[in-house]
Amino acid sequence: MLETLGNLGLGFSVALAPSILLYAFIGCLVGTLVGVLPGVGPLAGISLLLPATFGLDATRAIVMLAGIYYGAMYGGSTTSILMRIPGEAASVMTCLDGYAMARKGRGGAALAIAAVGSYIAGTVSIVGLMLLAPPLADFALRFGPPEYLALLLLGLFVLAYMSSGSMTKSLAMAAFGLLLGMVGIDQMSGYFRFAYGVVSLGDGLGVVPVAVGLFGIAEILATAGQATPPRVVKPRLRELLPSREEWRESAAPIGRGTVLGFLIGILPGSAHIISSFVSYAVEKRLSKRPEQFGHGAVAGVAGPESANNSATSGAMVPMLALGVPSGPIPAVMLAAMMVHGVSPGPLLIQQKPELFWGFVASMYVGNVVLLILNLPLVGLFVNILRVPYTYLYPAILVFSMLGVYAVNGSVVDVWIMLIMGVVGWVLRKLDFETAPVVLGLVLAPMIELSLRQSLAMSDGHYGIFVQRPIAGVLLGVALLLVLLNLYAFVRRGLDWRARLALAEKGEETS
Amino acid sequence: MRARRALAVAAVLAVALPLVAGAQEPYPSRPISLVAPFPPGGVADSTARPVAAALEKVLKNPVAVVNKTGAAGAVGMQFVATSKPDGYTLLLALSSISIIPEADKIFDRRPAFTVDQFAPIALISADPTILVVRTESPWKTAKEFIDDARKRPGQISYSSSGIYGTLHMATELLSHAAGIKLRHVPHAGAGPALTALLGGHVDALASGPVVVLPHIKAGKLRALAGWGDTRVTALPEVPTFKELGYPDAEFYIWAGLFAPRGTPEPVLARLREATRAAVAEPEFRAAMDKLQTPIAFKQGDEFQKFFDADARRLADGVRKVGRVEDKK
Amino acid sequence: MTTERVSGVALALLAAAVLEECWRLRLPLGSLATPGPAYMPAVLALALLAAGVLIAVLGPAAAPLAAVGWGEWRHTLAIAFTCAFVALALEHLGYRLTMTLACAFLLAIVERKPLVATLAFSVGLAAGTYFVFDTVLRVPLPRGPFGL
Repeated sequence: MLETLGNLGLGFSVALAPSILLYAFIGCLVGTLVGVLPGVGPLAGISLLLPATFGLDATRAIVMLAGIYYGAMYGGSTTSILMRIPGEAASVMTCLDGYAMARKGRGGAALAIAAVGSYIAGTVSIVGLMLLAPPLADFALRFGPPEYLALLLLGLFVLAYMSSGSMTKSLAMAAFGLLLGMVGIDQMSGYFRFAYGVVSLGDGLGVVPVAVGLFGIAEILATAGQATPPRVVKPRLRELLPSREEWRESAAPIGRGTVLGFLIGILPGSAHIISSFVSYAVEKRLSKRPEQFGHGAVAGVAGPESANNSATSGAMVPMLALGVPSGPIPAVMLAAMMVHGVSPGPLLIQQKPELFWGFVASMYVGNVVLLILNLPLVGLFVNILRVPYTYLYPAILVFSMLGVYAVNGSVVDVWIMLIMGVVGWVLRKLDFETAPVVLGLVLAPMIELSLRQSLAMSDGHYGIFVQRPIAGVLLGVALLLVLLNLYAFVRRGLDWRARLALAEKGEETS
Repeated sequence: MRARRALAVAAVLAVALPLVAGAQEPYPSRPISLVAPFPPGGVADSTARPVAAALEKVLKNPVAVVNKTGAAGAVGMQFVATSKPDGYTLLLALSSISIIPEADKIFDRRPAFTVDQFAPIALISADPTILVVRTESPWKTAKEFIDDARKRPGQISYSSSGIYGTLHMATELLSHAAGIKLRHVPHAGAGPALTALLGGHVDALASGPVVVLPHIKAGKLRALAGWGDTRVTALPEVPTFKELGYPDAEFYIWAGLFAPRGTPEPVLARLREATRAAVAEPEFRAAMDKLQTPIAFKQGDEFQKFFDADARRLADGVRKVGRVEDKK
Repeated sequence: MTTERVSGVALALLAAAVLEECWRLRLPLGSLATPGPAYMPAVLALALLAAGVLIAVLGPAAAPLAAVGWGEWRHTLAIAFTCAFVALALEHLGYRLTMTLACAFLLAIVERKPLVATLAFSVGLAAGTYFVFDTVLRVPLPRGPFGL
C-alpha cells in the first residue's frame, strides 16, 4: 500500500509538471470537441492526432492520447442529450433518456449529471486500474471464445429489459439488428456475405453510421417537417443544475455504472457500447419506477454515462499490465508507445514506472480538467437549443454527414447513414424501438465468431461450454435468469412490460 | 466574324495552356498521399509514417499518410489500384497484396484488384514470422512441436489474424512443408490472436516478432522457429525452418511501396531514387530502430524477384487451403 | 391495413429475402458442429420471420396505417434527397461546394428562408467546418473542381 502511494506520488510529480499538464489539457479539449461532433468518436480522434504526437516523448504522447480518449467520452453525451444524435457509438443509450430530459427542460441537469457521473466513474475506475491492474489483466486473459459467448448471450438478455413496448416487436428489432451485423467478410470461412461487390462493406455496416442514422437522422426526418416546430422548454439559468432529488436519484446508478463499466471494459474485445447497454438494463431492472425509462429517467443517463467512462479505464488495464490491446483504441495507444521506443509488455509497469504512474496520475488530473471544462459549458450548450429549429437541423445534418464521412473517408458510410435514417423514420412511425437494432448490430458478429471459434477449438463438441468453469458459470446464470423470468411471467399472468404497453396505449388514446 | 475568331483562339488557349503547364510541371509539386490500408496501430501504419516523413524530407514536398481501412486491406489497395497514376497516390502494402486477389479467385469473385495493377517501387522491411508457444507448453523445440503434431493430427490449435491473413498463410505454409495438420482458430486481427495465445485458449501462433518480443523477454512466451531466410536479429538462438529442413516454410510480413501501374517512368524513377535516399536517412533508421523492425531495402530487379517468388508461394498456399467450407 | 399488419408482413418478407439470398449466393450451411457462413443468418432470418408473422397476426389492435400521420413526407423526402445528393456529389464537387449547395437548398427552397441569410449561413457553415477539419484537425476532406 505504502509502495503504491509512493509510486502515485512519483506519478503526480510527473503529471503535474506544467508541460505534461499542458498536453493533458490539449488532449482533453480536443477530445471533448471530437466527442461533441456526431459520429466522430475517440478512435477517430486518436487516429487523427496520432501523427501530432510523434514529435513528443512517450509520456507526453500517451497523456495527450488518453486525454482525447476520455474527453471524447465526456463530450459524446452532449449531442446525445441535446439533439438525440449519438456523439459516438457508446452514447446511444444516453439518447433515450437524455433527450427526453432535454425536452422536459431538464437538459442542463442531464448534461451536468452526465459530466459528474463521468468524473466520478473516471476517477474511481482509475483507482481500480492503479491497484488491481495486473491481477485483473490476468483474469481478463482467461476469457476465451467460450466465455465470451456465454457473456454475450447474457448480454442478449439485456435486450429484454431495454424495451418498454411489445416484447415481440423488440425481439423483431433485435433480430433485424443481428441480421445487419451479418454483412461483411466471414472471418471463419472467407466468404463475403451480403456485400454485393462493395469492398467497403467488407468489415460490415459500421456502428457509427447506423447509430447516427437510426437516431439522429431519423429524428430530423420526423421533426423537421412538423407543422409546429418542437416545443423545447427553454430552461432558466437557475434550472440548469440538477435538483437535489435528481442528484439523489443518480447516486446509486453512478456507482453501479462505474463498477459494471470497469469490469466490462477490462475484457479484451468488448466494446464500450456494451457497457452502456448493460448499465441501462441493470438500472431499469433495479429501478422502482421502470416506466420512467425512455421518458426522462435520471438513472437512464447517470448509469450509462458512468459506465462508458469507467470502461475507458478498464480498457487500459490489459494494455498497461500485459501489453495486449483490448480493442482498436488501446491498439493505437500501444502503437504510439512503440513508436517512441517503449515496448509495452508485462514488464512495462516495472521497467517504466514513471510512464505508468505518470499516466495514471494524468488521468486523475484529466478527469478534473474535463469536469471543469464541461460544467460551465452546460449553459453554453443548452443555448444551442435556442437556435430556431429550421436553421439548426441543416447544421446538424452537415455535422452528421461530416462526422460519419470523416471516420473512414468513405462515402459508403454516408449512404448507410442515410438509408438507416429513412429506416429509422419508418420504424418510429410504426412504433418500433430502434435501440435493439444497434445492440444487435454490435453483438451479432461477436456472438457468431465466438460460437464458431469455440467449436473450432473443441473440434465441434458443444461440451466445451460446460467444461470450462467461467463459461459454465455464466451460462448457468443466463439459464437461471431465463427460468426466473419465465416463472414470473407465468405466475403473474401478465408481463410487466405488457402492462406498461397497455398503460401507454391507454395514455395515448386518452 | 471577329468575335468567333477570338473565341476560337481562346478555346485553343484554354485547352493548350493547362496541357503545356501540366507537361512541364515538375514532379512533385503537390502533396503526395501515402495510403496505408490498415488502421493506425498496425504494422503497415507504423511503417508508413517514418517512410512518409523521410520521403517528405528527401523530396522537399509534403507526403501525408492516409489510412483507408477495410476488408483486411482490400479497400485501401483497391483505392490506389484505381486512382490516377500521376505519382501523387502511393501505397504502402503488406504481403497480403498477393493473397487477396487469390482469395477472391477461389471464391469466384471479381477480384477487388490484381497485383499487376501496381508498379513496385521498393521493399522497405521484411520481418519473418516466428512460431511462438507459451512457456508452460511441453514443446521446447520446433522439432518436438512438429513431431507431436504428426502424432496427433488436428489436435494442436493455433490462432491467426483472420482466414487467408498473413499469420494464417504462414502457418499453412509450414503445415504443407512439414506434412502436419493443425487446428485453425481464426480471430479478428493480430491483437486478439495474441491475446488468445497468452490466455491459453490456443496452443501456438505465428506472429511478427515485434509484438511478441516483450513477452518472450518477460518469459511468458517461447519462440520455437522462424520463417525467414536468416535468423531474427533480436532472437539469435531461434533457428529458422529452413535450417530445420523445411525450406518451403518461408514467409515474411513485408512492407513495400507501390504506385498504380501507368505512372510515368520518370516519376517512378524519381520515387525510387527518393526512397533509396529516404531509407538512408538517420531519422528513418532511428524510427525503425525504435519499432525494432529491421530495414530490408530492396529495389528494382531484386525487389521484383522477391515479390514474384513471394507472390507465387502465397498464391500456391491459398490455392492449397482452398475453400475451407468445402473441405468439411 | 393496420401498422402491425404492414410491419409484420414487411419484416417477414425481409426475412424471406435473406433466406433466398443465402440460397442464391450458395453460402454453405455447414452443420451444427461446424456452422458455415450461412448458418447464423439463416437462424436469424427464421427468427425474424417468426417475429414478423407473430406481429402481423397477433399484434394488439393498432392504429390504421393512414392514422399514423405521414403529413411531413414531402419534407422528409426533400431532406433525404439532399443527403443523397451530398453522398453522390461529395467526392466529385468537393466538400465545401457540396455542403453549401445542400444547406442552401434546405434553407432557401424547403424552408423558404430569405436568400441572403441562407447564403451567409450555408457558406459560413461549409467553410467553417472545412477549416476546423481540414486545416486544424488535418482530416483530408475531398476537394472538387477549382480546388474547392
